[in-house]
Amino acid sequence: MPSTLSNPLRLGLRQERVISPQSLIIFGASGDLTHRKLIPALFELYLQRRIPSEFAIIGCARRPWTDKEFKEKMKIKLSEQISGKEKEWDKFSKYLFYESVDLQQSEHVVRLSKRLNIIDKTQATHGNRTFYLSVSPNFYASGCKALKSAGLIDDPKKSRIVIEKPFGRDFSSAKKLNQIVQSCADETQIYRIDHYLGKETVQNILVLRFANTILEPIWNRNYISSVQITSSETVGVEDRAGYYESSGALRDMLQNHLTQMLAVTAMEPPGKFEPEAIRNEKAKVLQATKLANENEPWKCCIRGQYGEGGNSLNRLKGYRQEEGVNLNSTTETYVATKVFVDNWRWQGVPFYLRTGKRLPKRLGEIVLTFKDAPVHLFESTIINPSPNQLILRIQPNEGATFKFEVKSPGSGMKSRPVEMKFSYDESFGEPSDEGYVRLLADAMLSDPTLFTRSDEVEAAWKLYTPLIELMDNSPWKLPIHNYESMTWGPPESDQLLSKDNIFWRRP
Amino acid sequence: MKPQLTLQTPLELPPQEISNYLNKLWTSEDTHNYGASTFTLIVWQPAWLEQCLVQNGLISGPITGNLNPEIVEAAKNFVLDEGLPHTTSLDSYELLNLLKEKLSDKNFEDYRGQFFESSISTLNPRRLITLAPTLNNNSELKTFVSAYCPLSDSLGNQPICGDLVVIRGDSNSINKKGLKIIDQLFIEELPSWLWWNGSLDESPEIFEYFINNGPRLIIDTAFGSPKRCLKVLDRLKRAKIAINDLNWDRLKSWRESLAMIFDPPSRRPILDHITDIDVDIAGEHIMQALFLISWISDKLEWKFVRVEKNEDFIKIEFHRKNGEKIITSINSLPLGNPIVHLGQVIGLRLISKISDVQKNNTCVILGCESVECMRLEAGGMADMQLIEQVVPNSFSSSESDVSKLLGSSRGNTSPLFENSIEIASKIFSNLNY
Repeated sequence: MPSTLSNPLRLGLRQERVISPQSLIIFGASGDLTHRKLIPALFELYLQRRIPSEFAIIGCARRPWTDKEFKEKMKIKLSEQISGKEKEWDKFSKYLFYESVDLQQSEHVVRLSKRLNIIDKTQATHGNRTFYLSVSPNFYASGCKALKSAGLIDDPKKSRIVIEKPFGRDFSSAKKLNQIVQSCADETQIYRIDHYLGKETVQNILVLRFANTILEPIWNRNYISSVQITSSETVGVEDRAGYYESSGALRDMLQNHLTQMLAVTAMEPPGKFEPEAIRNEKAKVLQATKLANENEPWKCCIRGQYGEGGNSLNRLKGYRQEEGVNLNSTTETYVATKVFVDNWRWQGVPFYLRTGKRLPKRLGEIVLTFKDAPVHLFESTIINPSPNQLILRIQPNEGATFKFEVKSPGSGMKSRPVEMKFSYDESFGEPSDEGYVRLLADAMLSDPTLFTRSDEVEAAWKLYTPLIELMDNSPWKLPIHNYESMTWGPPESDQLLSKDNIFWRRP
Repeated sequence: MKPQLTLQTPLELPPQEISNYLNKLWTSEDTHNYGASTFTLIVWQPAWLEQCLVQNGLISGPITGNLNPEIVEAAKNFVLDEGLPHTTSLDSYELLNLLKEKLSDKNFEDYRGQFFESSISTLNPRRLITLAPTLNNNSELKTFVSAYCPLSDSLGNQPICGDLVVIRGDSNSINKKGLKIIDQLFIEELPSWLWWNGSLDESPEIFEYFINNGPRLIIDTAFGSPKRCLKVLDRLKRAKIAINDLNWDRLKSWRESLAMIFDPPSRRPILDHITDIDVDIAGEHIMQALFLISWISDKLEWKFVRVEKNEDFIKIEFHRKNGEKIITSINSLPLGNPIVHLGQVIGLRLISKISDVQKNNTCVILGCESVECMRLEAGGMADMQLIEQVVPNSFSSSESDVSKLLGSSRGNTSPLFENSIEIASKIFSNLNY
């Protein structure tokens, strides 16, 4: 009898778009991202039968591996995921190839080009190629130039470049990088990846907003008093100290993931559900977003760094004690900021964004708080009637909760808040795909909807330029506040909101 | 009327010149002369009903091959005027034979092959070949050719052009001479599709030619006798020839809605206790209902046991692995209106009994309108835990269904469909139909 754990009627029903025959070339194939995210995502696509039979994955890195070594290394790294699916892996691994390439060496790229031509014939991939730059950001520009010089990205219909974050370090570097990349390839060929946009729940914000007429009339300054966007991690810097020390929470999370969530929450409805229409609206809303106090930016941002914490059984190191971190590091592991979206819809509504490491819970959520009732007719069972809130949970326990007041049982007319919940698990009962599964498929399908366009990236960097300038030029104005590991950030972060008589939601 | 694809009237050429003409067309020195690298679409386009109605003067010409509302309305009126049963299918032989009795000798413009819904033309087919059989059995073969360049919405895009070929004549001449022309018109490096936009009962030798010549096949099993349809499907399945059926595709919203009911894990146990399923269809063509029941039984791993036909319904018995019995029935309902696709599913009732107490059991009802839901609720079903859903009845045109297929499929047979064919064939072979 079929298991009731999965819905047997759902099996095979999902109509997925068909990926056309092509080669996926991953630069940086010996790096973490390849075995942690990219190959698992591709294997998942294979299990979902979405990989065409005419397909090839060519791993490229400087290490002198052979095809066989690459396959073996991937098999070892993915052993947990492969377990029980060995036969499928064996079939999938026939798509894996490897070419030792240093993108700085033109003869290497020429050799790669020849290999790709051979693979085109053996795998029938028709010269259709997606290049994935999973390399250090320092090599994005030179990587694109190398591909251009070898003529590998000349055909805008048959070649695409996927670029990982971070795209630049600030507004000017992002602009310069955009210029270089766009001189090598058409904007339609460039896919800047932000894996948050690959999450089902982020995409659901679009459906929730634009497929439900009940929400649109109240999704504005007339009914919403504030918006909070939180992305918190329980982990510390782990083995990423080298990168993180030069990045920090603002560049690593706020400028991209949280700002993209803001864009999706605040954008106007697009005329059509088409990539450019959606990206136009996202770019417009980001261009209209400003720090709450641009003249005195230190008043609308709090930076923090985790200190020691935990309990006697599990003592946690502070950031400065982590391996590879400078003992006097001023890199922020927490950042909270307040911004306004300067347009008709959102005039005067504060958006509070916060992200940090070593916080008590791993979660991502967007909280829309509605305005208070104009007159309080009923006594509340707690101190004050709590405002209505719509909470969109991005991860984990993906779903949405609507908080509202009801009559408390009894003879009086006291009110108390209750929650109406929608849970992806309870309604659909199956896990949603990892963001990379969706985004890799979209890139290979030439669908840029969930990728950030050059103007979006630049607008996001421009938004935080006053803060970045402060951090670079007068860091004492934007001090680092210490917070105990596994707490909700420095107390100063609470003060950022309490000035407005608002509090962070305690999830 | 659908948009006309070509601005110029197609050029009539002798059949032997078509291939050369097209080759020259795409080897011009004009560097902007792009031929789309997409696919070839061959359409078997008999449009018998339209031809009959035009020749009877019941609608004005020209003949375009598109089943527009004017044709449907005229045919419905004719059915009612002639006292045919209200559920008469618009492609039924009774209707067509009656219309053929009264044909005039007038000549009408025949524009088949020149009008396509934009849903197809925006896919930029490189070559559109229309086989246009005529009512007149003595029509000589005529061939027409034209190039077309759909205008793009986005500025700056180069037009991507294609060509169209119309092969018109009686079925015999198409079979004897027309197919030889098609032989030369396949573009090797591009995929080819055949859309058999008619009954599978007709012109089997022409259909056979395509089975043997490799284009991806699109058929519609709402047309043609179930026996012939299942015979063709079974043969193609055994020969591992890919097939797409619009009648199966139209079941999509039923499959999706039924699956959706059982998405919440808390409802999954209901599936293990199903005892009865009733499927209501419009008219007597059982193919779609048979596919729906076959799909459910395949997914729930039921074994087919027996089938019997009564006057108003067909009863099919399955067993679960633990030996429990499930009775499914296909009920033909007369709709007070002539319909285009006969036998479309209009309602489904699923009963799951976990205990002897009625209220602890579950009844799931899907209906394409609320009235159908109410009908299926009769007999005390509402006493059970009742899950009710109205499936939107989709009225998309066949062209739009075909364009979805062309845009999203690699042409292979859906594994779900393949399994359903096997079960449906087994059931049908045990039925004295």
